[in-house]
Amino acid sequence: MARKKSCCWKGIKKGTDMLGNHKDLLGIEQLTSQDIHHIFKTAATMKEILERPIKKLPTLRGKGVGMLFYEASTRTRVSFETAAKTLGADVGSFAVTTSSVNKGESLLDTAKTLQAMKFDLIVVRHASSGAGEFLARNLNAGIINAGDGQHEHPTQALLDAFTLYEKFGQQGEAGHGREGRTSPDSSLFAGRKIVIVGDILHSRVARSNALCLQRLGADVTFVGPPTLLPPEMACCGVTLSHDLDISLRGADAVMALRLQLERQQSGLFPSVREYTALYGLTSARLAQANCATGQTPLVLHPGPMNRGVEIDSVLADSLQSMIEEQVTNGVAIRMALIYLLIGGN
Amino acid sequence: MWLIKNVHVVDPAQDLDAICDVEFDERIRNIIKHNANTQNTLPVDADSPDEHTVSGRKTSEAAPSGNTVQVIDGRGKYLFPGFVDVHAHLREPGREDKEDLASGAQAAARGGFTTVLCMANTQPVIDNRGLVEFVINQGSQAEGARVWPVAAVTKGLKGEELVNMVELHNAGAVAFSDDGRGIQRGQTMLLALQYAQLTGRPIISHCEEDSLAANGSMRRGPQSARLGLTGIPAAAESVMAARDILLAEETAGRLHLAHMSASATVTLLGWAKKQGIDVTGEVNPHHLIFCDEDIGLTDTALKVNPPLPSAADREILIEALANGTIDMLATDHAPHTWEEKAQPFAEAPFGINAFETALSAVWMSLVEPGKLSVSRLVRAWSLNPARRFSLAGGSLSPGTPADVVLFDPSHTRVIGEGTWMSKSTNTPYWGKPMHGFAIATWVGGIKHC
Repeated sequence: MARKKSCCWKGIKKGTDMLGNHKDLLGIEQLTSQDIHHIFKTAATMKEILERPIKKLPTLRGKGVGMLFYEASTRTRVSFETAAKTLGADVGSFAVTTSSVNKGESLLDTAKTLQAMKFDLIVVRHASSGAGEFLARNLNAGIINAGDGQHEHPTQALLDAFTLYEKFGQQGEAGHGREGRTSPDSSLFAGRKIVIVGDILHSRVARSNALCLQRLGADVTFVGPPTLLPPEMACCGVTLSHDLDISLRGADAVMALRLQLERQQSGLFPSVREYTALYGLTSARLAQANCATGQTPLVLHPGPMNRGVEIDSVLADSLQSMIEEQVTNGVAIRMALIYLLIGGN
Repeated sequence: MWLIKNVHVVDPAQDLDAICDVEFDERIRNIIKHNANTQNTLPVDADSPDEHTVSGRKTSEAAPSGNTVQVIDGRGKYLFPGFVDVHAHLREPGREDKEDLASGAQAAARGGFTTVLCMANTQPVIDNRGLVEFVINQGSQAEGARVWPVAAVTKGLKGEELVNMVELHNAGAVAFSDDGRGIQRGQTMLLALQYAQLTGRPIISHCEEDSLAANGSMRRGPQSARLGLTGIPAAAESVMAARDILLAEETAGRLHLAHMSASATVTLLGWAKKQGIDVTGEVNPHHLIFCDEDIGLTDTALKVNPPLPSAADREILIEALANGTIDMLATDHAPHTWEEKAQPFAEAPFGINAFETALSAVWMSLVEPGKLSVSRLVRAWSLNPARRFSLAGGSLSPGTPADVVLFDPSHTRVIGEGTWMSKSTNTPYWGKPMHGFAIATWVGGIKHC
């Protein structure tokens, strides 16, 4: 059975330069919409593999993927490790708390050490914007940016967009809002309105998602209080709003960002209570905003959630919620990227 | 004895902008201006000894004789009074791995500077007489530009207790500054502006309000938002400039604004001058040449404090320098090691190594395109700083010490190891060709580089 399904797998061209000329994935900025669709196609195949009883491929046997995480992360790191292992690669992990990073070794030296251990690909998460680009310039190994400061988190954006891509595709097949016409993949996002609400200023997820969704043709609105959504965020080409209820009207999807509770101590908002009242996602809010059309937007959250703060528990667990789907798609997207970056040769 | 012939002298102090022959030993001895007639016939004169050479010798009889005269043909070149840089970090004592007083003074001389002021934010801080004397002693042995210390305003740069200003001034400090950080308490600044009047020396204000600048690494704006780097609002500088200007008015103190980088600061300085407040301002070449849009995530060579301005603010700074609202240029020469700059942007230290590229950069980016006249360049980088800080130099008037720069506008160099004197290489120009350099610098008549 596994053998039969691997036909699909062979559908992916091997041996060619699969992600443009890139050895790295540093940000959405570098990707064209064609690149993104190519990643989605690959991810769809990967997702099928994840549904199999035996989730293991020999494709990347003999390849090594190093994890270099300078910020606490469980889900992203495990997602990458699962993706690499499913493809047959070996995984090495540098957890900052147990490595020589604590002895004052520089980022560059640590990364060079990983490279000297002959890892083909290094997945890096770092609190400084540009850490991934910095390593990419200095190393021959491929780099995947798993989140750099407040700059980009491209794999999160790709998995979010892939989740919407699947849903919008299903809606199309079901004739929902698309008059039964099967639209080509490339226009699935055209005219879609997607709202991202929360601490936009400090969010790499918001930046990468805005770039990704707009590149696919969607309209993106950022929503948050002025302290977390200053006017310069218009640089991303999005609509800015401080009013969630108005912005939710006609939205096809809404993404709530995790609120870092320590921002309140820095005075960026007066209290969690006031924040939730203004910007918390609830079922009632979604229903009211869309009472005219009766269609409720899809709900995404990059996790981990503060239930009852940026998202209401009932909503998080509802049918509209894509949150668990996002996690599964995260593994598929990361498999696709690892494959496209180092599976070629 | 040196004789520079047929050279274009620009010396605003004497209102001189003409082809001249200049003769000097340790002091300027003679400047013979070619009359319009001779100037017109220069190409013919080039072939044979001519009358103005003769007249030069004749007048030189007044000067001490017995030395051989070394003659340099200055055709196509400029002779300027040596440049005076009022803002540099020479890192000694404490961080001699980045720079020391000797390498800094030599790099300065190579760049065309004959006098530099070094800031007090060393380790330990230059806040006592011993260290002021140490800087002067090391500087005098450096075989480069003259080095004068700027002493701290407050002990340990802590922004609390004033240093012994009179004692440090008597030891040789030429100004006071906590440069590297802003003095946060208004009362401390007020007392400093009052007490420094005993010395007649200015307080140099590093205008930065800490809570506004907190943890930022570039100017706040669309580019910082795009890159995900924490922004420093322009107001972090301007609110402090406003405070210090009002305190200077309140105390009738002497104030100098370091490294101005925001248009509002320019407006405030213009206003202060109209009020008759005793305040001057400086701008760094990088704030006139680069802007926030030039910054990429790995360009730590462009990470500087105050941060690079918006493109619009940059134009206002250029205009203010050209029209004299901003009094002077200063490099804010800030050497850092390669290792420190080879980090992600937010973690790399602030600063640009500038002595050996600053003059060429300003020449190429501002003088050649006609944004800054040659005489304004000399006024802003030699005459005005010398006057404001009561330093020797700033003019080629006969009898003054021969701090002289021979500048070749077409001399080209690729910035790199071959000619580099500084101990550090943190410049955005590394590996790039530049033109317009000091090809000889004399400090008190002694030729360097």
